[in-house]
Amino acid sequence: MSGATVELRGVTKRYGSTLAVDELSFTVPAGRICVLVGPSGCGKTTSLRMMNRLIEPTSGEILIDGQNVLHEDPVALRRRIGYVIQQVGLFPHETVAANIATVPQLLGWSRDRIRARVDELLALIGLDRNMKERYPAQLSGGERQRVGVARAMAAEPPLMLMDEPFGAVDPIVRNRLQDEFLNLQRTLGITVIFVTHDIDEAIKLGDRVAVMRTGKLVQYSPPAELLAHPADDFVAQFVGHDRALKRLGLLTVGGIELDRTIDRSRLGAAPTLSPSTSVRDALAALLVADARAAAVVDGSNYLGAITLPAIGRMLRGDDAK
Amino acid sequence: MGARPLTLFGDVARWFADPANWQGSHGIPTRILEHLELSGLAVAVAIVLAMPIALYLGHGRRGGFIAINVANIGRALPSLALLAFGLIVAIALGLGLGFWPTMFALVPLAIPPIVTNTFVAITEVDPDVVDAARGMGLAERQILARIEIPLGLPLILAGIRTAAVNVVATATLGALVAGGALGRFIVDGFALREYDQLVGGAILVALLAVATEVSFSALERRTAVPGMAAIR
Repeated sequence: MSGATVELRGVTKRYGSTLAVDELSFTVPAGRICVLVGPSGCGKTTSLRMMNRLIEPTSGEILIDGQNVLHEDPVALRRRIGYVIQQVGLFPHETVAANIATVPQLLGWSRDRIRARVDELLALIGLDRNMKERYPAQLSGGERQRVGVARAMAAEPPLMLMDEPFGAVDPIVRNRLQDEFLNLQRTLGITVIFVTHDIDEAIKLGDRVAVMRTGKLVQYSPPAELLAHPADDFVAQFVGHDRALKRLGLLTVGGIELDRTIDRSRLGAAPTLSPSTSVRDALAALLVADARAAAVVDGSNYLGAITLPAIGRMLRGDDAK
Repeated sequence: MGARPLTLFGDVARWFADPANWQGSHGIPTRILEHLELSGLAVAVAIVLAMPIALYLGHGRRGGFIAINVANIGRALPSLALLAFGLIVAIALGLGLGFWPTMFALVPLAIPPIVTNTFVAITEVDPDVVDAARGMGLAERQILARIEIPLGLPLILAGIRTAAVNVVATATLGALVAGGALGRFIVDGFALREYDQLVGGAILVALLAVATEVSFSALERRTAVPGMAAIR
């Protein structure tokens, strides 16, 4: 499967005299994750639910691969868009296998094809095959979320809509689910529109982050850009005073310019870091070791040093982004 | 004084033991069958009339006002008044005495619990489950048939059970308008002062009502969601 391009043009939702979503326009390139983020009541969930027409827009156009979804039959439209919500909404009276098979069954796939697909998905989400005959109530929260994601992906949709899908699990499980989900999305290349109120989740998962406030799109940019150049005070406050530190979390020491003038021999007792370490973790390692510089080493290959002054320049934003 | 209940007890036992009471068109088995036929048909008609409306209102999560008020009006109507009303309607329609007037009295009795329980059963289904179903592309009819009815089934059956028990107990009144069924024993026993027959009929009605209750409860347990039963 591959992703679909999604484009919103002046999408507006009005409830009586209240404007829930106001002239929302943005484009999500195929195969990317776009995260809608903002405080509660900002219109992010309403925006998401208009994309599969669970809510009808008052005006505007929503295009999926150039096709205006508002001209399509809503039921047929929803069958080719994955949908995951916070409370998962697994069918409690159906087994895991039957839940996952929902959309393929609606689409009239053959029994054999459905069975093969269910097995494939269980492997993909890392669930044991003997879980197939379990009921949702017999699963842990994390397992339920995984089954929810598998169910949404069952018919190989080019687009997935996810409304706070990891919001109801504890932080440790959430982190793991996020990592698994990122891997899965990168492998499959599907387009994802993801709603959250958690800016850290938005920064971690989003290729693009759309910050919304009172129904309006305030900023739409890649996470690093959002952290480096918040569009206004609201965004700056929303991303947090530690936004500079968060930005360091997006960079790896292998991906920035290292100081090659420092010889390895001068870094005897200093920490040694692998290229995949985030700059934020590198900073923590330096502070813990009370060192001014650390060696970045790929296997036995010395790549250069990362220094506190260099990280300081990055924090102040007067260095490479 | 103290001897009379004992005598009556013996009389009732003898009444049950008399083979003559178990035979023919006035025998106990025939009366039980008549009773079940009358009650079953009344409940079936009530289901056909009330269930689609209740499902429709429940699925739309609206009309709670109607559902609740239908139930309240139903509870407020005295069965005897309904029977009198049914008698007039049946005579006007040329349906005669007995069976049909009783049906007209029993159906309105059965409708309220069916409407209320079905409506509540559907509206109580987890909205997230319904939202997920709709979001995945189940059509409204499929949501009702595949999600809402199966999940609401225990509560829907509880409504039918209440209706059935009420109807079985009240079908006794049919004898007042020359109907058959178990009420015959009670009405005739009273008129003829054959108290063994009267008490025997009362015992049979009570047993039948209890049996109805018990069998529906068993059915409700069997329809409970397997996965949900596990966490109870």
